[in-house]
Formats: sequence, C-alpha cells, structure tokens
Amino acid sequence: MKGEKQMIYKNIAFKADPFSYDLTFDDRITLVGGDSATGKTVLYEMLEDLRLTDKYKAIKLFNYKSDNLLESMKQCKDKFIVMDNADILMDDAIRQFINFEFSNQYMLFLRNCDGLNVSDKSFKVLKFEQNRITLEEEL
Amino acid sequence: MIDIYTEKKDSKDWILQNDLYFNLNTSNEEMSEKEINLIRQVDEAKLTPDKHIETKYGLGTIRNLSSGCKTLLNIVKHPEKVVCVEECGPNVLKIIFAMDNIKIYMSRPSYAEIPNDMQIRFNDADIVTGGTGYQTWWSKEYERRETDDL
Repeated sequence: MKGEKQMIYKNIAFKADPFSYDLTFDDRITLVGGDSATGKTVLYEMLEDLRLTDKYKAIKLFNYKSDNLLESMKQCKDKFIVMDNADILMDDAIRQFINFEFSNQYMLFLRNCDGLNVSDKSFKVLKFEQNRITLEEEL
Repeated sequence: MIDIYTEKKDSKDWILQNDLYFNLNTSNEEMSEKEINLIRQVDEAKLTPDKHIETKYGLGTIRNLSSGCKTLLNIVKHPEKVVCVEECGPNVLKIIFAMDNIKIYMSRPSYAEIPNDMQIRFNDADIVTGGTGYQTWWSKEYERRETDDL
C-alpha cells in the first residue's frame, strides 16, 4: 500500500552446495557494504538463477551491464530489487525513486547512503562462516 | 604522494567503471608477482597459469575477481590514470593508501586507514599529510558544500 513500508521477502534462504544462504532483512532498504571480496557479486550471480524459481520470481536484478537503468526500475512494482555496483550507478533520480516507490523492497550493494531514507537496520555486511552466508548488522 | 580528485570527469584518462575497464583491458595483460600477491591478499584467490582463479567459491575466470580487487589492479597497471575507488571496501582502501604516485577519484570521504606520513594532494591544489590531514580536508570540504548548498 502506498506510503507503507512493504517487505517482499523478510528472508531469502537457499542452498548452493556446499554453501547455504540465509539472508534476513529488517528494513525496506538494505545496504550491503563492508570489505571488498566478501561475496556480494557471487550472491548477485546466485540470485540470477534463484529469481527463475516461482518462490523468488519477484527478484529483479540490476548491475553495470543493465540498460536504461532508471526507466527499467520505474517499471518495477512489488519487486525485490537488487543492485550490484550501486556506488557507480546511483544518481539523484534513482535515489528519489527508491525513497518514494514503496511497493518495492531493495537490497543495494552500496556504501554511500547519502540521500536515501534508511534506518539503522538498513546497514548490513555479508558474513561467511563454515559455508553458511548470512547478513549481519554492520558495526 | 597520492592525488585525490573529488569532482567527476569524463575523460579517457579516467577509469570510472572498474569492472568494465578491467574486463575489457586489464585482464588480458600479464600479471606480475606483485599483482598475483594482491589477488591473493584481497580475494584470497590463487591465479592459475592458464589465468583462471581459484577461490573458496570454486574455479572461475579472472573476470570473477571482486570489484575492489579489479580496482586495485587497474591502479597498479595504469598509474597514469585517475581511478574511481568508490566501490572499494576498507580492506582495499588500506592497500591503496599505502601506495605512492597514484591518482584516485572519490566524491566523499570513504573511511580508510592512512599512514601518518602519507602526502595527499586534493584536486591538484591542497596538500595534506596522513589520516588527520585527510579528515580535516574533508570536514572543510563538507562545510564548503553546505555553504554552496550542494
């Protein structure tokens, strides 16, 4: 509903042997930051397959290879939008869309939160422990 | 001395899209021992003789290196170019700020561990020293941006 914070997926869990992913989201906008080489792009590539399943068909993916980024995003309603390389892709228009298109949920691989309506629950890092990958709060 | 530029410029001498630049150019070049060590240090990846990489996720091509690692390799292989470091995490920035005679672009102050004696020149003008100088410069820059309503 417009104006309300909507969660498309509270949790995304799947196995990709020998790894298991268990990602929990606490805000409509999740920013995944932290160190380089923690597996963000690997996760993005996993989601490219996962979105082809019925359960996760609301996932929409964008990265530096995406054409007409803003226009393509504007087509998204009730989607779980994932953006890799967001630090070089985001501009004011995209930030505004994310802030005001409440029907979508967002996971952005992004360090610069300027201009986004985020909360302290938005900031996450990927944690890899014994082949289990989770999202933890960024300290 | 590290040169930092804070205003984005479209130029053939600038690398703004590190993944793209690396995949189309840098990855085809031979890797030196130093570069192989950087790949191991940042991505915990082993470069095989046939230019594949082995990581905990399995065997991939050099295109599968992290964006941070590709940025680092772009800087090392093309020190004459201004390279965008906005996608780099603190682990990569720490390595970048220990280098000398490089040129980088950042539009905001990313957290980075900076050696106390490192000389940094902002926008071909202001020269500061170490992490304290870096932070002080960015504080003034943000005051300027606020004054200019940016």
